[in-house]
Amino acid sequence: MMVWGAVAGGFAGTLVLTTLLRAASELSLTRIDLPFLLGTALTSDRRRAKALGYVLHFAVGQLFAFGYLGLFVVIGHSGWLLGAVFGLTHGLFSITALVNVLLPVVHPRMGSTYTAAGSSPLLEPPGFLMRNYGARTPEITIAAHIAYGALVGGLISLAA
Amino acid sequence: MTWRPGAAVVPRRIDGYAPIEQYAAIGDGRTVALVAADGAIDWWCLPDIDGAAVCWSLLDADGGGRFTLAPTTAHTVSRRYVPNTNVLETTFTTATGAVRVTDALLLGQPGLAPLRELYRRIDGVSGRVTMRWQLSPRFDFGATPTHLVRRAGVPVAQGRGQALAVCSWDAGDPELRPTQLSAQFSLDAGECAGILLAYARGEPLVLPPRAEVDERLRETCRTWREWATSRSHDGPWREAVVRSALALKLLVYAPSGALAAAATTALPELLGGERNWDYRYCWVRDSAFILDTLTSLGCAPEAEAFFWWLMHASQLTHPRLQVLYRLDGGPQATETELALNGYRGSRPVRVGNAASQQLQLDVYGDLLEAAWRYAHTCGTIDPEIARRLAQTADLVAEIWRQPDSGIWEVRSEPQHFTQSKMMCAIALERAVALADLGVLPNRHVARWRAEALAVRDFVELNCWCEDAGAYVRSAGSTDLDASVLLAVLFGYAPPADERLRSTVDAIGERLAHGPFVARYTGDDGLAGTEGAFLACSFWLVEALARTGRRARATALFEELLTHANDVGLYAEEVDPDSGAFLGNFPQGLTHLALISAATALSIKEGQP
Repeated sequence: MMVWGAVAGGFAGTLVLTTLLRAASELSLTRIDLPFLLGTALTSDRRRAKALGYVLHFAVGQLFAFGYLGLFVVIGHSGWLLGAVFGLTHGLFSITALVNVLLPVVHPRMGSTYTAAGSSPLLEPPGFLMRNYGARTPEITIAAHIAYGALVGGLISLAA
Repeated sequence: MTWRPGAAVVPRRIDGYAPIEQYAAIGDGRTVALVAADGAIDWWCLPDIDGAAVCWSLLDADGGGRFTLAPTTAHTVSRRYVPNTNVLETTFTTATGAVRVTDALLLGQPGLAPLRELYRRIDGVSGRVTMRWQLSPRFDFGATPTHLVRRAGVPVAQGRGQALAVCSWDAGDPELRPTQLSAQFSLDAGECAGILLAYARGEPLVLPPRAEVDERLRETCRTWREWATSRSHDGPWREAVVRSALALKLLVYAPSGALAAAATTALPELLGGERNWDYRYCWVRDSAFILDTLTSLGCAPEAEAFFWWLMHASQLTHPRLQVLYRLDGGPQATETELALNGYRGSRPVRVGNAASQQLQLDVYGDLLEAAWRYAHTCGTIDPEIARRLAQTADLVAEIWRQPDSGIWEVRSEPQHFTQSKMMCAIALERAVALADLGVLPNRHVARWRAEALAVRDFVELNCWCEDAGAYVRSAGSTDLDASVLLAVLFGYAPPADERLRSTVDAIGERLAHGPFVARYTGDDGLAGTEGAFLACSFWLVEALARTGRRARATALFEELLTHANDVGLYAEEVDPDSGAFLGNFPQGLTHLALISAATALSIKEGQP
């Protein structure tokens, strides 16, 4: 049953995370758009990038939810509070390493601090703490990941 | 000084400062260094073009960081860029022989390269020449202490969180002092030496072997050459156009696609004056020019990258536009003053630019003109961007009646600047055109049309002066403003329009000093005057060409070409009396205007 909790949590968590980031973007607090960043790794067509990005983003959301599930099983405890702690760690990892360092390395259309005059990437790099996408981006991203983690943890514990 | 590649230059210093026109720029798409004719590198920001400088004797000859390299005996100098590259070759000829110094910021491929690397390769050309070099690095404009130490035998300058290794090969044994290192060496014909500055920030230093560095120099030349020879321009001034394109490419910040207005800060528009601004940002006002120029040169990837950057950067302040954005897309450009002497005593030395907070209505016209050109030449505009552009047009319809600071960012009270109003009309009309094409949502088209007509009525009623025979600088004024020439370039009215033609003539008569055109007459809230603005001179060329005075335009253009420096670069301004460069250098807008004028002159009459 916990598996279905992870599936539901991964879906609901990603939905809330995406909605929070999108709302923050509409309020001009940040320019972060994770589905767009993921989708443009596959195509430079903006429309298709967004559609593909959402599919990828929800798939990644599921992957992380199963990662959380594995940790809950190892610890022998689950719950929304522990999920929120995982979400906080996940968010910190995202802004310091995952999106900031790893994504520019593997993303074919994103610049990095090493990009030189020979190439013209279409996407600016996120920068430290992803602050290139707006000064408020770190706290917004962390808050969205805490919400994701809490939902995943809560739904897994409900299904246990 | 005029552009004759390979011609001799007589290096000069006044109070320790080289004339601005004696600098050449090298870059790697991330940062730019300026090399004086006497072989000194007086400007180099790290890690990026808008970062703090490690070499900044350009702004403080007494205390600034510097990297000198020159023969120990009397010599003459000639220099040029390696053809079709941004790699500089300086030849020093002494009584005993000649050496050639090749200066480049390497592009990072192949091999494991440092985060940034500046390479100076010295080749013996004839006889025997003794050279001396000296490096005095000062991180962060001297704000943080710089310590010189040796690591595994390699001299390393250390600052807070950053380090600069000095790898040298056959260039003498560097003598370390607390704040500088220096060495002397002799070179026979056929021999070669090298000095590499390898920079690291937030990561360990990379100390590359000499063979890899030489390979990267060859690859850097090849990359530049390939890029330059792919540029599409077949007019009679291709050499000048390609040099300008290469200068622009130096200013493109490759990680984001933004184009810096210039590579420097605080070079004065008036020697000893206060008009010393930081231009290491991207101005929205340049966006239509940038897109037009990049597409006309066949730089589609750069044009697309720039438009993407522009739409991303402006998202945080949407629907309002800032005048300028940081190269990484951030909106903050807080202006502060550094405690430096300034170029030949020109203070304050500013970093950051307070103009970012001004209201400049013309930028909305530039953005929608850029979008219109992008939609026609590069690619599709997706629905989300289209929605944002429509909201921008709605905003223009709402705020065009407000006074603003204008394209020249005056620091006096806001006024109803003519060029701002004209660009508002263009913004609304381009929005209508994009909606007619089905690109923008068309809900508010009727309002955009009505407001565009209202703007035009305002301009015709308030900004035309019968006595001056011209559209004047602002409503009710009698001053002239060369930015009104942009009305011709952006198609505000047909080229045959009598008022427009008369305005072009008036500007050509009243604002021109020889081939050079001043920006405006009248007050701007600052003390002192300034030189002639080179972009305006090229705008006059294009306006004359577009209004049918091609012979006059061609003559003026060819005269302006002779006022480039010896390597084909231009600053922001020029002293009309002496021809000395003023303002930041090299200036993107000047080179954009040069290319645009050359393109206009190359179009056969009757062609659109």
